[in-house]
Amino acid sequence: MATTKKAAKKATTGGAAKKTGPRRRPTSRREISVRMYDVGFGDAFLLQIPDGNAVRRVLFDCGSIEASAAGGPMKGCVERIVRDVTDPDGVARIDVVVATHRHRDHVSGFDNAAWADVEVKEVWMPWTEHPTDKEARRIRELQSKVATGLSAALAAAPPAAGAAAAAEREVARGIVANALVLNNAEAMKTLHGGFSGRPERRFLPVKEAGSRLLQTPALPGVKIHVLGPSRDPAVIRDMDPPKGESYLRLLAAAAGSDGASASLPPFAHEFVADSISASWTFTSTDPEQIAQAGSLSDLAVAVALDKAVNGTSLMLLLEVGGSYLLFPGDAQWGTWLNVLDDAEWRPLLERVSFYKIGHHGSHNATPRRFVADLLPRGCCAMASTLVRTIWPDIPKSGLLTALLDKSTTVARSDEPAGAPQSFRVSPGVIEARVPF
Amino acid sequence: MRRPASTNGIAPAARRPLKIFASDPLLGRTFGNRARIDVVNETIEPGPVGARLEVIDYDSAQKCFYQPVDLNLPAILLQGGLEPSEADPRFHQQMVYAVAMRTLENFDRALGRVIQLGSSNRRRSGGFPRLRLFPHAFYGANAFYSPSLNAVLFGYFRAEADDVGGNLPGQTVFTCLSHDVIAHEMTHAIVDRLRPLFMEPSNPDVLAFHEGFADIIALLQHFSFQDILKEQLQRTRLDIRSPTILVQLAQQFGFATGGGKALRSALDTPGTRLSDAIAEPHQRGSILVAAVFDGFFKTYQRRINDLIRIATGGTGTLPQGDLHPDLVNRVAAEASRTAQRVLDMCIRAFDYMPPVDVTFGDFLRAMITADYELVPQDEFDCRGAMIEAFRMRGIFPAGVGSLAEESLLWENVENRLPPLDSGAASLIGKAFVKAMQAFDTTWERATSSSGADDPTQFSSADAGEDFEVDVNHDLAAELHAYAYANAAALGLSLAPERKIQVRGFHPVFRVAPNGRLLIELVAQFAQVDNATNDALGGVPFRGGCTLVASSDGRCRYLISKPMIDSADPRSAALARARHAQQAAFVQACDLRDAMTPYRAAARQANRMRELMDFANLHGG
Repeated sequence: MATTKKAAKKATTGGAAKKTGPRRRPTSRREISVRMYDVGFGDAFLLQIPDGNAVRRVLFDCGSIEASAAGGPMKGCVERIVRDVTDPDGVARIDVVVATHRHRDHVSGFDNAAWADVEVKEVWMPWTEHPTDKEARRIRELQSKVATGLSAALAAAPPAAGAAAAAEREVARGIVANALVLNNAEAMKTLHGGFSGRPERRFLPVKEAGSRLLQTPALPGVKIHVLGPSRDPAVIRDMDPPKGESYLRLLAAAAGSDGASASLPPFAHEFVADSISASWTFTSTDPEQIAQAGSLSDLAVAVALDKAVNGTSLMLLLEVGGSYLLFPGDAQWGTWLNVLDDAEWRPLLERVSFYKIGHHGSHNATPRRFVADLLPRGCCAMASTLVRTIWPDIPKSGLLTALLDKSTTVARSDEPAGAPQSFRVSPGVIEARVPF
Repeated sequence: MRRPASTNGIAPAARRPLKIFASDPLLGRTFGNRARIDVVNETIEPGPVGARLEVIDYDSAQKCFYQPVDLNLPAILLQGGLEPSEADPRFHQQMVYAVAMRTLENFDRALGRVIQLGSSNRRRSGGFPRLRLFPHAFYGANAFYSPSLNAVLFGYFRAEADDVGGNLPGQTVFTCLSHDVIAHEMTHAIVDRLRPLFMEPSNPDVLAFHEGFADIIALLQHFSFQDILKEQLQRTRLDIRSPTILVQLAQQFGFATGGGKALRSALDTPGTRLSDAIAEPHQRGSILVAAVFDGFFKTYQRRINDLIRIATGGTGTLPQGDLHPDLVNRVAAEASRTAQRVLDMCIRAFDYMPPVDVTFGDFLRAMITADYELVPQDEFDCRGAMIEAFRMRGIFPAGVGSLAEESLLWENVENRLPPLDSGAASLIGKAFVKAMQAFDTTWERATSSSGADDPTQFSSADAGEDFEVDVNHDLAAELHAYAYANAAALGLSLAPERKIQVRGFHPVFRVAPNGRLLIELVAQFAQVDNATNDALGGVPFRGGCTLVASSDGRCRYLISKPMIDSADPRSAALARARHAQQAAFVQACDLRDAMTPYRAAARQANRMRELMDFANLHGG
């Protein structure tokens, strides 16, 4: 990283008024730089958009749940990012910080004290993070209740019987750890109240009309299409975990001692019968089967929760000149569908020149329709991912192959050596250049 | 079902009156909510346990039983059933039994046969003689039908703290006290009897049909509660489309789970059309519900036009203030009658449905054909209203030239298929007698396994099939021979590894409005291709057909879902397209399913089968 990075840093002087002049070609060549930091299993993308002699910086997420050997711990990644955004005057500046959603693998890095000295103009979060919006609060509280309950339930659960069950529980634990509010509290505090420079917080899309397109003085000349998360009740429904038997059980677990009240008898004691009525067909296995029938496995609830939180992902399409850069966060089917069926957005997707592969390359975060029908040939794509033993199907190799079949150039954070020539690879960072 | 024997020379009552909440406890003492309905007066034991249903009040959360109600107690008989009460589990048992019986009787009557609810022909279930209803099975905001337990399990739960509507925060809500929940789950159980393969998600419509149809039955039954109907007609000035309890489903449940409104409604947002994007079974099913309700509403309007003209001196403008009670009564009667007609129409469609891979379009065609057969002259153009309502929602049957009534009728095959031969014809006679006996009041369910009347293993010996066939062995053999001889015309395959299963056979008796007795035979054949199960997530590719013949053995209608290796090239092409659709559907499900990246490889192969679970479908 050493030499090239330093040069790049100098070139990307932050102050618009400064006439230091570009010291490196890329900025003058009207190229957007997208840097993917090797955070392990997580996301951290830094965009640098030349604007005259200045450069505008946008940071998409900064988080990880499992560091990679090459990238090292999150702390190092954060320091690296802060260094990369530090102007010659010694002040670190980012124009816009985007937190796509509150999963640990997207925000954990924001718990670092270093952010207090980074000057930020705006912080963007999905509307579900709005501190006072009623619906947003409802969704957040519901999601955090389930996460807390599930975490408590998993902690209290007796050892799993058999290897398959044990493996399944590990998968569930991993998912819950990612969603647990407690784990992300410090990071969320930074996003909501931290950074220097008194950044403006935007919760997107805003409720008012005209919420589909955002333009801001922080990023002159950039049009931001806010594709998700939708405020449509039908899409919001995806943000609610299922509320069946398991849900109530988990609420009880979350409430701790309050759990006892959940199992209060529904009827007065005199109605309880001592024995089975003779004419009933009630077998000895029925009690167990009935108790089992209604409850989802912990894994199923964990996955539903994961989907619910991913459903809040901020999905943005940045239009810079003639280039379109798509950052879908970890958006899942509901959000994608809404976008793919939108007459105005659909044609824009046909012009995407950079795609951040959703949800670390998992199967259901990139619709086949999008890759097959819309994504143009020769697009550049990046996946920040890591093969974890507990989630062997992320990233999905079929998806990456499909992208490659479209002669898309794809770089993976965990395989820098495999990145095509067009990417610049240095230890811990892969950089793409997108002309505009 | 056996009627109680007469005592002292006094004939037993034909019907048993029972009390229920017409909607759910949320409406409390609102006028009309405490409805009295009657069900057939069968011999019942404490539970209640009847011939086809048994209510077992076991609570898995408390690990205890609750006292069963004895509906034969004089004290209860004298007051026409227990008074509605949330605090007394015996009333809960009574209500579950009453609404379940009412739903079952609607199917019996419309189909002209007695639907059996035992699970003795189901291999993966314990051979229960009756459908079991557990009013307080578990603690949770859910209720579902479980095929393996041959049971409907109702949960109870505490209402959430905020926005619980008319509920008290923290109040205990019993799903078994909601008419809609009971009717909905009962319908699942009955549909699963009529078409067991409709549990297999082979296209986006199959599970959605299950859900939508269950809601349709619950909804249309609302219009049989006279008091509440009249009150709502008065209040809405005869516009039954106003968002009242008539068109809303499971109000209490919806509010109690924090939804801020009823769980579902019969009304859709204008302009809603069926598309691949609407995939969640309840949501997709609600389009079907809205279409049927719209057809019902248009017919109702046509039927009350004259009444309104009379009442308004021809102006059609209703006067200010309350409507005349006589008018309300007459309109209520029309609304009830129309609802019953549409209900019958929907249920009868089953005899004209394919045995596998149903679509909404198939349902429309089946409904139109069944109704056309029974009521050729459609005085108020109910069928026309239905077709229009389906068209407006983008529900188009595949392979029909137009949406005219004639083109929606299933293909008439009188000239294409030979009649069933004489061997079959004589057996049909036997089957008729058996079917007649089922309606005889003295007939009792045969619980023993006696000879040829038993469900047989005939041609259903394929490993892994959940069902054995419910037809007389000899007749099954005859039908099998017929299907074998005409396989190409039926769209079936003659490949040696594809057995032709005779999935069901029943005679149908109906009285047309003109008094004519209509007799038909309905036979279902099915075949399975297990070669592509892995690619299809564990759900096999199936084909088959439903054959409708007249009593003299002439084949009249063929409803076919052909097999890929059918000898008929046109059928084979259709089958290939169907297979491709199923594969595409699996892909679409994978994409939607958040579980996809996290599922262990071993479970991956059976992922589509995991969808065949009402417990999960209804929200875990």
